[in-house]
Amino acid sequence: MKNIKVEKAFCSGIAVAPAYLYNKTDYTPSLRFIEDVEKELERFNDALKAVMADLGVLAAQNEIFDAHLELAQDPELIEMIASFIRNEKRDAEWALADAITTFSSAFEALDDEYLKARAVDIRDIGGRLMKVLKGEKGSSLSKINKSTIVIAKELLPSDTAQMDFALVKGFITQEGGPTSHVAIIAKSLGIPTLVGVEGITDLVENDDLIALDAEKGEIVIAPDEETLKDFNQRIKEKAEEKEMFLQTATLPSASSDGRLLSVCANVGSLQNIKDALLSHPDGVGLFRTEFLFIDNNRLPTEDEQFEVYKQAALLLGKKELIIRTLDIGGDKPLEHLGIDPEDNPFLGYRAIRLCLDKQDIFRTQLRAILRASAFGNIKIMYPMIVSFDELNEANRIRKACMAELDASGQAYNKDINVGMMIETPASVMLADRFAEHVDFFSIGTNDLTQYILAADRGNPKIANIYDTFDPAVLKSIQTVIDAGHKAGIRVGMCGEFAGNPDALKMLLGMGLDEFSVSPPIIPRVKYMLHKSSYVEAQHIAERVSSCITKDQVKEIIKE
Amino acid sequence: MYEKETLVKNKSGIHARPASVFVKLAKGFSSSITIKNLSCNPVRSANAKSMLNILTLCLVKGTSVSICAEGDDQEAAVEALINLIDSGCGEGLE
Repeated sequence: MKNIKVEKAFCSGIAVAPAYLYNKTDYTPSLRFIEDVEKELERFNDALKAVMADLGVLAAQNEIFDAHLELAQDPELIEMIASFIRNEKRDAEWALADAITTFSSAFEALDDEYLKARAVDIRDIGGRLMKVLKGEKGSSLSKINKSTIVIAKELLPSDTAQMDFALVKGFITQEGGPTSHVAIIAKSLGIPTLVGVEGITDLVENDDLIALDAEKGEIVIAPDEETLKDFNQRIKEKAEEKEMFLQTATLPSASSDGRLLSVCANVGSLQNIKDALLSHPDGVGLFRTEFLFIDNNRLPTEDEQFEVYKQAALLLGKKELIIRTLDIGGDKPLEHLGIDPEDNPFLGYRAIRLCLDKQDIFRTQLRAILRASAFGNIKIMYPMIVSFDELNEANRIRKACMAELDASGQAYNKDINVGMMIETPASVMLADRFAEHVDFFSIGTNDLTQYILAADRGNPKIANIYDTFDPAVLKSIQTVIDAGHKAGIRVGMCGEFAGNPDALKMLLGMGLDEFSVSPPIIPRVKYMLHKSSYVEAQHIAERVSSCITKDQVKEIIKE
Repeated sequence: MYEKETLVKNKSGIHARPASVFVKLAKGFSSSITIKNLSCNPVRSANAKSMLNILTLCLVKGTSVSICAEGDDQEAAVEALINLIDSGCGEGLE
């Protein structure tokens, strides 16, 4: 038995199944010299034709393969291979391997992250060609015929294209991060996955029994009986939990004594919304729009944004969709947005500050959101407001956009709700006054905690300081909720804290109206709220409000 | 042979999408076409019909480039590609 502990979990879940060790196509070229140049060129051309035909079919289903198709036909690549065959009389495999290495290492050496990632695509095409040249048919992963946990160095789109996902109980890969192909597929299918597990392919043999707990980041190779029992117990508990959550999944969100609440989803793409809808949220409490600005390395046009917001609104129907305007800053320098690296990005040029400075970007986004508001229940939310000047300026621009739309006769919701995120100490201090001028508040606990406590949440040396259970943060939250209710507006929370099982009851007691959390935990939050009494929760909130240390807070909520 | 120089003016340079627009246009001509990065020393050149080759030239905004073509439609090819670069490779200018 061997235990491995991993930090990064990308798709939680537990599985026990035999390992299927996936070996990449062997790139070791045959190093064979040939006599008949024409015959060898023909052999390569036949392989290329076969690969292009395959890619053509795949490209119709997935645009990743469009780019592969383009690269496979690249004249320089083909010419290099042909010249190795013609001039040096090497066989096609040898020529291919050297050409692929030449191009992929040229790309890996570049400074640009986007281009670096193209090296993987080039190797993927090389692998396809090599497979055909070596006479292997199809991906060996397509031969999986029993429940397995797939273990590989890395998994590429071509590897997973023909896989029967119903039989794959888990993925473990040696390379890759949160944006790797396998991490994205696993997330969308809910398959337990750990990526970036160093040395895993050397530790595991085919058919070794593997116990995988992706939530805890645990891998056990050849578990003993006791461990196996423990894992099977965990699987059983997970299944029972799921069953339990199902009871409340489709009921209206409420406490056990009938206080009506909203449990919403935090999402960052259209796919996220589709996935989230399976958990029956009351709406989307936070639609992050940054992906539109980051993914393409250029500014999205009004029509492109409109199309996305409209699709989102249509997916949600009558349910609310809170779209947060662009929230980006120097922690993610983007040349096309004019964002340079800063010494202190979280106190710098970001979010609403950037939007009010670059009004073209802001105006384009607001117009797109407004136009989409004709198709559903869209609300606008401004991030990181610290002053009335900012709120007024943002609203002035929004009203100008509305007037433009009126003038050109374009439809939009004239009564669209406009709210603000509460994530700065300044907005907490003035919450009672802000509440008179917006339709809702949404508390962003991640940034609020960091700003209230002046503690960078990424700095491990002060990890003990960054804690949302700190009485200073809790008092801020209570202040905001009270201010909102006094003015008759709803107060939500879209930070991670809203889904923290230890905090839920206290937040209910503090009067929070909306809990917006990441989609996978929606059923749990809903279930826990259904089991909590508002009256009891109020007692807890009241006791917490007199605490002076976070340990006292934690003691009360653990009771 | 026909050759002309210009500057890369669009924000993200001849990169990703703009590069694929460029390659698609180049492939429409029968001449053999080369694109050179004149801003680096020594000057590097690439096959204008090869996405792989062009991307590694790192043609960022402000790079001075030359397009050189040889063949039946050499003039038309150079003029069209220079035009494309000047208009921002389908990306638009600032």
